[in-house]
Amino acid sequence: MRAQVSNCPPRGMLQVMSQPAPKSSRIRDLLTKPIRLPQWFASRRSATDPRVFSFNDERDSVVNEVSARVVAQCLGPRLEFLINDSAHREIERLEKQKDDEAREWLGFWRTVVRKLARMTETERHEVLRQIVEPMARDVAGNFDPRVYSFAQKVIPGLIAGVMNPKQLMVDAASVRKLGAERLVSLTGHLDEMHALAQIGTVIVVPTHSSNLDSLAIGESLARENLPPVVYGAGKNLFTNPIISFFMHNLGAYRIDRRIKSQIYKQVLKTYSCVMIERGYHSLFFPGGTRSRSGMLEGRLKLGLAGTAVEAYARNAIRAKSRGEAPRPIFFVPVTINYALVLEAESLVEDYLKEKGQARYIIEDDEFSQLDRWLAFFRRLTSYGAACVLRYGPAIDPFGNRVDAQGRSLAPDGRVIDPVSYVTHRGEPVLDPARDAAYTRDLGRELVEHYRRETVIMTTQLVAHVLFRKLVRETPGVDLFGRVRRRGEITWDHAEYVTCYRETLGRLRALQEQGEVHLNSYLETDSAERSLERALEAWDGYHTRTMARVADGQIVIEDPALLLYYQNRLVPFAERIAGEGDERAAIEIAALAGGQ
Amino acid sequence: MSEVEDLPAADGPRPLVAVLGGGPFGLALTKAAARTGDVVLVSRRDPGLQLDNVRVTQDLAALTDVELIFMAVPSRYAEAALRDAGRHLDGRHLLVHVSRGLLDDELRTMSHLLRTVTPCRRVGSLAGPISVDVLTNASPGAGVVGSEFPEVVEAVRGALGGPTLRIYDTNDLRGVELAAALTGLLLFTIGFAQRIGFGPATIAAVTTRGVAEVSRIGTALGARSDTFSGLACFGDLLAAVAGSDRPELELGRALAEGATPKAALLRAGGNIEGIEVARRVSTFGTRRKLKTPLADVISKMVGGELSASQAVRSLMGRDVGSE
Repeated sequence: MRAQVSNCPPRGMLQVMSQPAPKSSRIRDLLTKPIRLPQWFASRRSATDPRVFSFNDERDSVVNEVSARVVAQCLGPRLEFLINDSAHREIERLEKQKDDEAREWLGFWRTVVRKLARMTETERHEVLRQIVEPMARDVAGNFDPRVYSFAQKVIPGLIAGVMNPKQLMVDAASVRKLGAERLVSLTGHLDEMHALAQIGTVIVVPTHSSNLDSLAIGESLARENLPPVVYGAGKNLFTNPIISFFMHNLGAYRIDRRIKSQIYKQVLKTYSCVMIERGYHSLFFPGGTRSRSGMLEGRLKLGLAGTAVEAYARNAIRAKSRGEAPRPIFFVPVTINYALVLEAESLVEDYLKEKGQARYIIEDDEFSQLDRWLAFFRRLTSYGAACVLRYGPAIDPFGNRVDAQGRSLAPDGRVIDPVSYVTHRGEPVLDPARDAAYTRDLGRELVEHYRRETVIMTTQLVAHVLFRKLVRETPGVDLFGRVRRRGEITWDHAEYVTCYRETLGRLRALQEQGEVHLNSYLETDSAERSLERALEAWDGYHTRTMARVADGQIVIEDPALLLYYQNRLVPFAERIAGEGDERAAIEIAALAGGQ
Repeated sequence: MSEVEDLPAADGPRPLVAVLGGGPFGLALTKAAARTGDVVLVSRRDPGLQLDNVRVTQDLAALTDVELIFMAVPSRYAEAALRDAGRHLDGRHLLVHVSRGLLDDELRTMSHLLRTVTPCRRVGSLAGPISVDVLTNASPGAGVVGSEFPEVVEAVRGALGGPTLRIYDTNDLRGVELAAALTGLLLFTIGFAQRIGFGPATIAAVTTRGVAEVSRIGTALGARSDTFSGLACFGDLLAAVAGSDRPELELGRALAEGATPKAALLRAGGNIEGIEVARRVSTFGTRRKLKTPLADVISKMVGGELSASQAVRSLMGRDVGSE
């Protein structure tokens, strides 16, 4: 696996192909290239600053290391295939794009295809370098502490202002307490997180329901004075110059999901690996995409987060040669629990339409509609802490719990050495097959953590009780038949109240066993108030009525949205069902089977 | 930042192997592993083995220096044994079990226990028609190791493989474990069908549909269906038809003769994990809306709810569908 950069011929020597020179356009650059602030007034770094504050100083070194490593990994008998694969996939993409990028690069790729078969190994090597370097440069992020400081102070206020301008005036008197705290409530193992961020590299792995998740995580870290994290963001989010400016300067690296070539995927993985190796705290959504169904992630591929095992093995090998222990890596599972989900309508529509074949990018959902944002945030503010972030206990890359000193613990509480997991006959070694297996294990472990760290919200429980009634009343009907039963099922309010109370009681018992958590409203609200709270939240935001109360009867109006909100309780359905609801609960539990 | 390299595996004698559990299969594994190098047998009883390179001990601390450990303790005692052993293990150890049981009504397999009770992650399952005879007398045979970790497979090959034993591998660990556990159901059915007087064609029909049933359950749990046509399931079945002495066969025969479930279990002897499996599979099938006719019938027969003739009528009276 040694990077053979020294064998690479000097640039321009071979003249195999010329790299495309981008045409200069200030307007286009402003719209498409990340904007950075000049360094004239940049403050000096202090020793206590988070690692990421000095990222810009080593950015070129990271890009070079990524390029060199990817080039070394691609060399060998598969090189011709890999270049060919990249060229054909890029030509296919660029021909559809028909933009400036296509005009610049199409010629290059077509020449590659034409000449590849006749190239010598050295020429292929040079072409590979010409492919990899721009990819690595395009992916690499940026971090400007000034932008971070600005965002930390101003963005919560901006959000608060959008949500509720009157309250902004009141809040302005108390600096740094602007709005966001009413929106996002933090709970869980935050003290542990503070300690571990000083000891090792922290990888935050949250559940993923909404595009607001990264904002919620960023806000929670800033509020807790935890160090910022680097994260990958879809290139489509960089098309807006303002959002692009903030994302680019706050540690986001760019992932272009349109590029399908294997070399590009290797660049992304290597970038992520190098960043973790160098000790940058990172954020990954291991589910990959937002949960279409509203369910907790049941199967995790981990994707780029999986590079943590390789990063740890590489650090262990280096540390061994120095006679030291490697810097530990910690995974911190976080559940993001919304009472109301901005994109719920689009997501559940997509879930029902595709049923497991989720489109990766939904371009036209509520996230891109300003009026929906306004309606959403207004409703959230009146709801109270409508988003609960729960930080779970940290684990090492091999799924072991770690203590406050960052030491890995065996199931019997004994301290064990995590290096032992990457050791073969006494020596730490790299082994991609082994690391892939560890990563799959880690995915299974995180799923368990997500389930235990879930915080059930009022809207979810109310939706579950109502949806279960719908299932009970429609035996033998499939999911698609059920979601069409709009306004057909009614339920006596008093019966609902009894059923809700019993279900809540069973959920409380699960909470006492440490299997789940309940939002504070569920602890304090009566059954009647919970129903009111849920209906108010839904009515004030969703365009369709989900349920209504008329003449002492609850009418189920929108089973699809109820399905979306209740799906968070799928893992617990069978254990919170009462007499007569067992079969319905089994059917609800079976929804997880298709996940 | 300097680049790191893959280090080649060190050559030399094979590292120490341990067998946990001194039952008949544990002893057979010990004897087979003793042909390739040193072995530690952790057993409560002294089996009286007279082999120079086998050390018998009750001290679980002996596991610390071992690379590969075969876990050959029956499922019902496995958790306690693993909890005790786990105190001496860490990430270096490779842990391979030979269980044919399931843990609970979710049909979780032994590797779940290995991973949760011990700190070991590099785990695997050894299955297939590997009998005590194959291991002890070095009769020609083959088995399969299911593990996601290639080094586990290599270690098992290094410990047991040789001119008389071929160890195949698959990364479908779940599939191998489920196949090993669910094949017990099919063996029971074969024993039952043999004794009740069914001919080869009937037995072939029941067995083939049985494989389809267990494969359906396996795929519902994330296993690959092709694993069930390999050594872990099909291989075991053919061995049974060819005359192997698995206790599930004897249990089926006893019930077919009209013995009470209790008497049948007593007669079959051994730790018949497959019987508890039947009830669990039947419950699981009901919950997940899977068709599990064989498991349903076996579960009811062993529970005393169905007689042999009722069982046959129940199976034959079902609607016929596509294969």
